[in-house]
Amino acid sequence: MAEVSLTCKRTVISTKPVQPGKFCPLSALDRLMERNYLHIVFYYQSTVERNPGELTKKLREAVAEMLSAFPIITGRLFKTPEGHWTIKCNDAGMRMVEARAKGSVEKWLQNLDREKELQLVHWEEMFHKPYFWSTFYVKVTEFEEGGIAIGLSCTHLLSDPPCATMLIKAWADMTLGGKMITPPLFHPLPGRRPGNTNTNHEPYVELIDYYKLSIEKPAPVFNTKQVTIILAFDDEMVRRCITRIAPVESSRTPFEALAALFWVVVSKVKGTKGGLTNMSICLDMRNVLGLDRGFFGNCMVYNKVNGDGIEGNELCKAANGIKEVVRKMDADGIMDLIEWLKERNYQDLPWMNGYDLICVNLEAVDSYSAIFEDNARPLRVSYYIEPAVGEGQILIMPPPAGSRNTFSRVVTITLPEDEVNKLLEDALIQEFSPTILMGLNKMHSSTSS
Amino acid sequence: MPEMLPKFSTSVKLKYVKLGYQYLVNHIVTFLIIPIMAAVSIKILKLGPEEILTIWNSVHFDIVQILCSSFLVIFIATVYFMSKPRSIYLVDYACYKPPIMCRVPFSTFMEHSRLNLKDNPKSVEFQMRILERSGLGEETSLPPEIHCIPPNPTMEAARNEAEIVIFSAIDSLMQKTRIKPKDIDILIVNCSLFSPTPSLSAMVVNKYKLRSNIKSFNLSGMGCSAGLISIDLARDVLQVHPNSNALIVSTEIITPNYYQGSERAMLLPNCLFRMGGAAILLSNKRGDRNRAKYKLVHVVRTHKGGDDKAYKCVYEQEDPQGKVGINLSKDLMIIAGEALKSNITTIGPLVLPASEQLLFLFTLIGRKIFNPKWKPYIPDFKQAFEHFCIHAGGRAVIDELQRNLQLSAEHVEASRMTLHRFGNTSSSSLWYELNYIEAKGRMKKGDRIWQIAFGSGFKCNSAIWKCNRRIKTPTDGPWQDCIDRYPVHIPEIVKL
Repeated sequence: MAEVSLTCKRTVISTKPVQPGKFCPLSALDRLMERNYLHIVFYYQSTVERNPGELTKKLREAVAEMLSAFPIITGRLFKTPEGHWTIKCNDAGMRMVEARAKGSVEKWLQNLDREKELQLVHWEEMFHKPYFWSTFYVKVTEFEEGGIAIGLSCTHLLSDPPCATMLIKAWADMTLGGKMITPPLFHPLPGRRPGNTNTNHEPYVELIDYYKLSIEKPAPVFNTKQVTIILAFDDEMVRRCITRIAPVESSRTPFEALAALFWVVVSKVKGTKGGLTNMSICLDMRNVLGLDRGFFGNCMVYNKVNGDGIEGNELCKAANGIKEVVRKMDADGIMDLIEWLKERNYQDLPWMNGYDLICVNLEAVDSYSAIFEDNARPLRVSYYIEPAVGEGQILIMPPPAGSRNTFSRVVTITLPEDEVNKLLEDALIQEFSPTILMGLNKMHSSTSS
Repeated sequence: MPEMLPKFSTSVKLKYVKLGYQYLVNHIVTFLIIPIMAAVSIKILKLGPEEILTIWNSVHFDIVQILCSSFLVIFIATVYFMSKPRSIYLVDYACYKPPIMCRVPFSTFMEHSRLNLKDNPKSVEFQMRILERSGLGEETSLPPEIHCIPPNPTMEAARNEAEIVIFSAIDSLMQKTRIKPKDIDILIVNCSLFSPTPSLSAMVVNKYKLRSNIKSFNLSGMGCSAGLISIDLARDVLQVHPNSNALIVSTEIITPNYYQGSERAMLLPNCLFRMGGAAILLSNKRGDRNRAKYKLVHVVRTHKGGDDKAYKCVYEQEDPQGKVGINLSKDLMIIAGEALKSNITTIGPLVLPASEQLLFLFTLIGRKIFNPKWKPYIPDFKQAFEHFCIHAGGRAVIDELQRNLQLSAEHVEASRMTLHRFGNTSSSSLWYELNYIEAKGRMKKGDRIWQIAFGSGFKCNSAIWKCNRRIKTPTDGPWQDCIDRYPVHIPEIVKL
């Protein structure tokens, strides 16, 4: 068993001092996510022969340069007089942990599970006095026989998965070429565009109600331990899935197809009666709101999809239901939500991932372009949205190698252990012959290329 | 209003009186000779040319007399030139610039303090108060190992820091002076708190492959004033060895000395001491006379260790938990003041113009004989020096000296700004300050500089330099990228 041993934990400071008195307020969407945190792991092979610790030192220098453009990360949480979180940019720095692991990165990837993977990230729960608590943690693990893993943990208050990926990409650009291709932008969420107000416009009540309900729900019960598996669906299989759910291929996206597929299968393994299991989808609203790629902050919105009355194998109806909700989540709808959140000025903290099955669309996240050294794309990128306390999570992510126009996808599934077993044996899943990138440790990984 | 006018007019009158007095006393010889020469020339002119010739012929010159008097003159001249001490020149110097990644903003320092001293909130509070009033800025640097939580001061890390700081400074100096390692005759390294075996000077000899007959010295344990002690030692060794040069490295290695306990008096150095180092090249060669930047005029060393309180005021010891740190006593400023007074008493006669010395003598006599209540006259050192480099030991030290020597804000600007940008870098801080003055373009040929350093023991050492040539504003050096931002206003208390 490969083992990870800690070398040291330090604070990395930005190379440019921050002018005192700067604050970065958090948006309404940010503040909802206080209970959640992210773990992301990037794996790389070694391209060049290096001394132990040499690459870590290079990464450390690059991260210090990069942090000069991200004063929000080196700042600390601070409560305004109104009781809202804001970031006081006090230049305190970001925590970085350095570690070493036995074996090589390829060997590690072959024999992986959730617990092992989480050894490659470092996380500390929010302190009682968060003014001394770093919001971001980076862990760099060098594998003795070659390869490196970069783990990022951060609070969901400041960043969602696309935003955290942008951070790693900025770090990679800085290490490789000394400058960032997409510098970050810090500004509040856009307001409603003035010319576009439709006087007959009805507020998007369902979305607002969904959030209202989430905020008012009591804390979820943490019962069963959940495990995570990762499945890869190649281009042909995804197209087949799309054809299955709709005769005209172009009218359905891979996300809708896979989301519908898993909705149906997970409902089956959970044994839900009278329809499909409660599911919420989580979509990245950056394009919808017209935000620049460099926007820093939360911009993912959840919404419920209605599964009542849909029978076990009715993939088409499931996909239709998802498509309908995706269509309705347009700019106006999101604006309604944001305005309602601002007005309501709630103090309770919802558990946004804490109840239903969540299906997150991370297709547009550009993780595989985070290249630190020449010719070394990440071998794999894993995402975890914590804490995993709801019915389950499905994350739909882009494929590892090559072009972006392919329909192949990687899906991370987090469910209670017995449900995962049943899912892997399900006929519908088997029909699309996924490759198991990370399975349950007891099962051997099937390598169907 | 009418009351102010008389005061103003009397002070102006006083100023002119003082100026007149100074000119008179300082140039007394000129003032005496001119009338005498005038009288003699008038007498001669009155005589007329034939009478001059007669007087000339009547003086009987004997060959023996001429020979003896010329031999006497030549003999006296030779004795004079042989016994004159060799002139020591400072060819150039280089200061280490820490990488910007090593900087420690206040917020990070306080955060680490809170995380490492979780169980001692009072100690953390104390450190915060010190930091707020310290006069340091947000760009001072600590070595990489001290950025760890908890700090990890291994011997290897200390050696690494020593290598980075010392070799950087020496490389920079070699580039500036175009000197080759084989040409270095004397090597002196001073680092007070880190003294491994083999010594740091052996480390330098090893890295640069210096000659096997090099005269190397390693001074440790001598505190923040060790830089000037090294200069003094180099000067003495250069008296004995003609046609030689000496490489001096002054630094302080922070890694092994970061106090990890919670005693308040011992936490103070953590707040003030920062990474830094300097390398200096001294020479007594004739060829360096024109290219050297400064000439060493005097070095005055004062040691108050004979007094028990002075001896114990900066004391390295173990705290009740067994952690080693440096204990600074509360009487530090008073003892520093006494040491300074001693040092000034020795320096005064060497550098002050005659006018100031006379005034001091009169007041002294007056106090002894007429009225002991007369205020002691503090000589005006601003007349003896154009620039002051006061060791940036802490804001209190600079304030105290500014008050005692009646210096203006511009005189102490170099010290305050060095404290702000680099912190207390111990023995090398004087060189950062000198570099500041050069970087600001204030150094002119003929300017006199007074470097004052205080250190454990308790010692107060001074070095006096004279600028030897026109100095171009340096384009490299530790102040290169930030000199335009300085001087900054440093508030009394920085709100953290």
